[in-house]
This record gives sequence, C-alpha cells and structure tokens, in this order.
Amino acid sequence: MEREVTAEVEKPPVTELGVIGWIWKNLFGSWLNTLLTLISGAFLFVLGRAVLTWAVREANWRAVTNNLRVLAWGRYPDDQAWRLGATVGFLLLLSLITWLVWRGGEEARARRYVLGGWVLSPAVLTVLIYGVRLPTLSTISNNFGYYLFRPDVLIALDETWRATMGLAIVGLLSAVTLCLTAARRWRVAGIAAMALAASLTLPLGLQAQPWILGLTAPLLLRFALALGIGYWAGAAIARALQGNARVLQALPALWAVVVVVLIVLLTNFEVGVPRVDPVEALPIVQPSIWSGILLTLALATVSIAVSFPIGILLALGRRSTLPVVKGLCILTIEIIRGVPLITILFMAQVMLPLFLPLEFNVDRVLRAMVGMTIFTAAYLAEIVRGGLQAVRHEQVEAARSLGLSEVLVTGLIVLPQALRAVIPPIMGQFVSIFKDTSLVAIVGLLDLLAVGQSVIKAREYLGAVREMYLFAGVFYFIVSYGMSLASRRIEKRLGVVES
Amino acid sequence: MSEPIIICQDVHKWFGSFHALKGISMEVQKGEVIVIFGPSGSGKSTFIRTLNRLEEHQRGTIIVDGIELTHDTRNIHAVRSEIGMVFQQFNLFPHLTVLQNITLAPIWVRKWPKDKAEEVALKLLERVGIPEQAHKYPGQLSGGQQQRVAIARALAMQPKIMLFDEPTSALDPEMIKEVLDVMIELAKSGMTMIVVTHEMGFARAVAHRMYFFDEGLVVESGTPDDIFGNPKEDRTKLFLSQILTH
Repeated sequence: MEREVTAEVEKPPVTELGVIGWIWKNLFGSWLNTLLTLISGAFLFVLGRAVLTWAVREANWRAVTNNLRVLAWGRYPDDQAWRLGATVGFLLLLSLITWLVWRGGEEARARRYVLGGWVLSPAVLTVLIYGVRLPTLSTISNNFGYYLFRPDVLIALDETWRATMGLAIVGLLSAVTLCLTAARRWRVAGIAAMALAASLTLPLGLQAQPWILGLTAPLLLRFALALGIGYWAGAAIARALQGNARVLQALPALWAVVVVVLIVLLTNFEVGVPRVDPVEALPIVQPSIWSGILLTLALATVSIAVSFPIGILLALGRRSTLPVVKGLCILTIEIIRGVPLITILFMAQVMLPLFLPLEFNVDRVLRAMVGMTIFTAAYLAEIVRGGLQAVRHEQVEAARSLGLSEVLVTGLIVLPQALRAVIPPIMGQFVSIFKDTSLVAIVGLLDLLAVGQSVIKAREYLGAVREMYLFAGVFYFIVSYGMSLASRRIEKRLGVVES
Repeated sequence: MSEPIIICQDVHKWFGSFHALKGISMEVQKGEVIVIFGPSGSGKSTFIRTLNRLEEHQRGTIIVDGIELTHDTRNIHAVRSEIGMVFQQFNLFPHLTVLQNITLAPIWVRKWPKDKAEEVALKLLERVGIPEQAHKYPGQLSGGQQQRVAIARALAMQPKIMLFDEPTSALDPEMIKEVLDVMIELAKSGMTMIVVTHEMGFARAVAHRMYFFDEGLVVESGTPDDIFGNPKEDRTKLFLSQILTH
C-alpha cells in the first residue's frame, strides 16, 4: 500500500493552553497543587496588603523626597549639577546611537565610529564630572614661543634664521616620510609634524620684518618659503630613494634625531619657565566631595571598566610560560583574593600614599577606586582563566597552522571564545562589585547608603529608617537587574552554535 | 629533478618516554602527492604535525621549502604560512563566520586588504562547492561542508604544501566523497600534498608514492602499484587485507 504524498505538510497539534488552561494545569492540577495555591495565595495577599498599607498610609516618604538632591549627588555643587545631567544625556545618546546602528544592518564603518565613541567616553565623562582646566589661547602661543624661541628671540628678530632652518628641516623630513611610505600612520605623522611646526612658528611669523630690497613683509612669508623649499627637496630625495627598504626602517630614528636637532636649534638649550594662565572651562570638582548615587555609580563604573583589562592581563599572565610573569601573576591574584574587600579598602586609604611621592596627593575617592579595581581584577582573572581553559587546544593548533603569531592566536581566537564562555560569571562579578561599593562608607566616603544613613539621623526625619533603606534597596535592585538583563542580551547576541 | 620541497632526515620524537617516531626519512618533490597510512598509534599524525612544527622533533632535521625547522620562532611563522593544514576534527573557529574563518589569516598574516581577502575567499568557496554558506557559522554546517571550509581556509594563504591529517575520518560516510572530490581536484591541480588517510581509493587515484607506517617507522614505501599489487612486507600485506576486505 502506498502512502499518498500530499502537498500539505502536517502541522504539529496545537498545544498552547491559553491563560486559563495554564492556570488550571499548573495551579489546580491536583488536590495538593490546589491546596498549595490557596495557601500561598492567601499568604501573598496578606503580605502585599500590609506592605501597600504601610507604603501608602503610614510611611514618611518626605525623608526621601525632600532629600532626593542630596541622595543623588550630595556635596557636588548645585550650580554645577547640570554637568551630571549632561553626563546622563551623553550616555543615553551614545546608547541610543549604538542601538540604532547595531539594529540597522551591517554598516561596519558606522559600528567602528560608535565603538570609537565608547572608547572615548571615559575621557568625556571625566571632563564632564571632574572638570577641565584649559590654558588660554594667548598662553598657548606664548608658551610655545617661550620654549622654542626664548623671549629675547621673539624680540631679536635677527635670530629668526633658526626658525627658518627648523621649518626647512621639518619640511624635508616630512616630505621624505610622506612620499616614501604607503603606511597611513606615517602619512598622518608627516602631515601632523608640518602642521605642528607651522603653528609653532605662527606667533613669530605674524611679526613684520624688513626683507629683501628693504621691502617690509611678514616673517610668515619667509617661513612658508623655507617649509616649501624643504618639502620640495625632501620629495626629490624620496624619489631618488624609492624602494629602499632600509630608509623606511630608519625613519623613526631620523625623526628622533630631527626633534633633538630642532630643540637645540630653536631653544639654544635655554628653556625657561613659561607663564601659566589657565582658564577653568569646567570648574574642577574634587572627587573627595563626590557623594550619593553619583559616588556609588562612579566607583562601580571605574572599577568595572578598569579591572576588566587588568583581569584579562592577569589571567593571560597566569598561563604564561615565562616563570617570572606567571609567578608574579599568581602571587598578585592569590594575595588579593585572600584578603577581604574591607581590608583592601583600608589598605588603599592608608598604604597607597606610602608608595607615592609626597607631593603626589591621591584623592580619597581615587584610593577607594584603586582598591576596588584591584580586588575585582583578581576575581575576574580567575573567571577569565576558567574561560581560557575551556577553549580547546585544537583551536590554538588550527590558528598556529595558519601562520598566526602567538599574540594573534590569543587575541583573535582564544580570548574571544574564552570571554564568550564566561559572560555570566563576569557579569555576576560586576553586579557583586556594584553592590560592594556600599562598603566604602566604612572608610568614610559618602556613597548612597552613607548619605541615606546620615539623612535619617537628622531630627526631622528620625524614624524614617525603613523608607530610606527601601529606597536604597530598590535603587540597587534596579541597577543590578539592569546589568543582569544586559548580560542575558549580550549572551544571546553572541551565542554561537558550537561546532 | 629539482631540489625537494620537504627533506626529512632521521626524525625522532618522544612523548615522555614513549618513542613515537623512530627515525623517519622522507623527501618530497614539488607537486607530489604522498599518502601515509598505517595502524593507529603508528606515528603518522605525529609525523605530519612535525612538518609545520605543531610537534617539535627532538632529533634529526626537517627542511621545508629551504628553511630548517628550529627553535627560531620567525622561521616557524614563515614556514607555517606556506603550509596549509587540514585536521580530522576540522577545527574551524566557531565564533567566526565561514568567510571570516577563511579571510582571518590572509588579513592578519599576509596583510591583504579586506576586499581582496574576501574576493579570494569567495572564489575558494566556489571551488570547494559551497559559495552560498559564506555568512553562516561553522556550527550551522554539516561535517562535510565544514571540512571543505577548512580546506578553503588553508588554501586562502596560497600555501605551497598542504597537509591532511585524516581529513575524512570524522565524517559520515555520505559526506566523505564530497571532501575527497575536492582533494582529488586539488591534487590534479599540481598541489604538493601529504595526506594521512585510509581512503585507498583516493590513494590509488592520485598518490604518487605511499608510505606505510607502523610503530614509529616507515615499514614500506613505493608507488600505489607497488603497494597494492606487490607488497613486500608481511605487516603491509596484513594491514592492507584488513582495511580492504570490508
């Protein structure tokens, strides 16, 4: 008997239960289930009603609402608080762009820009939160002039031959560099050198000088001519040397020599102290007065971001074949893992200044950051090591057989696979260090919890203990849960079918 | 005949106290296809792995393409980039797509621009018959397809020599042919190949010489006609009768 072949493919039977079906099956499936459902339902109802009644009727939320500003950024100056808002806005914007770019197809270039944005973001955040001090434009040109030409040279214009010579040399070597190499970074270096030399001589070049035949012309003209002649000569030399590989290798050394020659030529060895005249574009806010949620997040972010690369390096070092590197890494990891975080925080406060020169006064918050970073790095190192061990040795052999160097084998084949395998424990460690930031209260820093505790000691908010701790708890939970969610998304995103 | 591309003289290898290779000598000319066969544990895999120094030999000399294999790491990278290797377990990189697997070494070792590397990779995928799989991950392919990607990955470096370490042993029977077809086409194109395999049909079709390994020694070597038609050693006869009877 032959089976009839039909065009219609048989579909699996519908097994979806629907809400009511699900409830019936899972909650009232048997008499025991029914009993358990009823008991726990009653319990949840009583508990929920009690909590709700307390939260709505009895709780004194003024302790939290009146102090939101203090809890958020504490002693950070109020008139500068907009910078924190700008920080949040910057991060949101960057995240939004990232999301859009990653969603919108395979534009590799856009992705590179976004990644670049994230790489630069620590600098932006530092500038925004910490502040920045910039020299005024006149100071810049003044100082360049001072360093390169000495003040008397600026007046004694008859010594400008030095600047002229310097420019000619820079032009010459730049031209050689530009014409001889195809490498992009060298081309950029050549152009940058010329631009720098030109800008350095600008303050001097703007001055007028009697030139040929008694005609008055700005010095700039002579400088431009020197640069041009130098470039032309360099290009000619480069043409003659085309294809000579040894010249290419000597280029960095040549540049080093030229820099020395320039300094000698331009300063005549007399380097003075320039006038410093900075403007505070964004007034500096010392980390030691950061507090509240700002401090909590800053501590967590810095220790997470900095400990990650250090942890990877420690893990790689621990697997190194060099006995000294390996021994040092094991020693570091084991010592740090063998000491409680609180001890490390105290040590960082007390010991760090001992290792540094006296005038180098490290901020207390910065010390706490250092402590938390090395603590996290040691734990991360062990997690990453686990991931490294999970990568099969055949992968290394396959990569080696293609001619990849050991650095490339590690960076392109081993590490990506190892890190993918340990995303959950890494995220766990990050969540853990985020919550552990509350320990800095012990060394006298005012993180969210410490600020909260000091608020409820004030007379008018006495007794609002539950409200304050609940608020702090909810905050920690939201951030931690957000991190778990992110971890799950990353896992899913990078989830690769194993071969 | 010109200078041999591979010269091995009295190659020894120990694993701890186990003497895995007991003095192997072999010369391979450019364009030759060599098949190495023998019982498991006879040292055949170990031997071809010494040729690109995935295993270090402890005595004797190995000269590949005029470069002697020593502890000098620069030599090793230079030699490895001229030798393609295909493994029994494919060993594709699971976190990279097929295309990325193939273009990785040309981009990072040969410093080719990405466009050129991808163009070459797509041509190679066409040559091994799976151009449509370029953007999948290795885990989404069948064993035969994975092994063909592995061959393409090795070929992308434009090697002078290809080593095959039991390339069909981990495959389901219906996939062996598709991989062997690729290898036969490669052999006929003039590639120098050293193949560890028990596929005697392949050996008969394209091998120039065959080596029978047992207990770390070359027991017998010769052309396929010699080996199949007129084996001299009893061990060779026994082994051939065991693998050819079923």
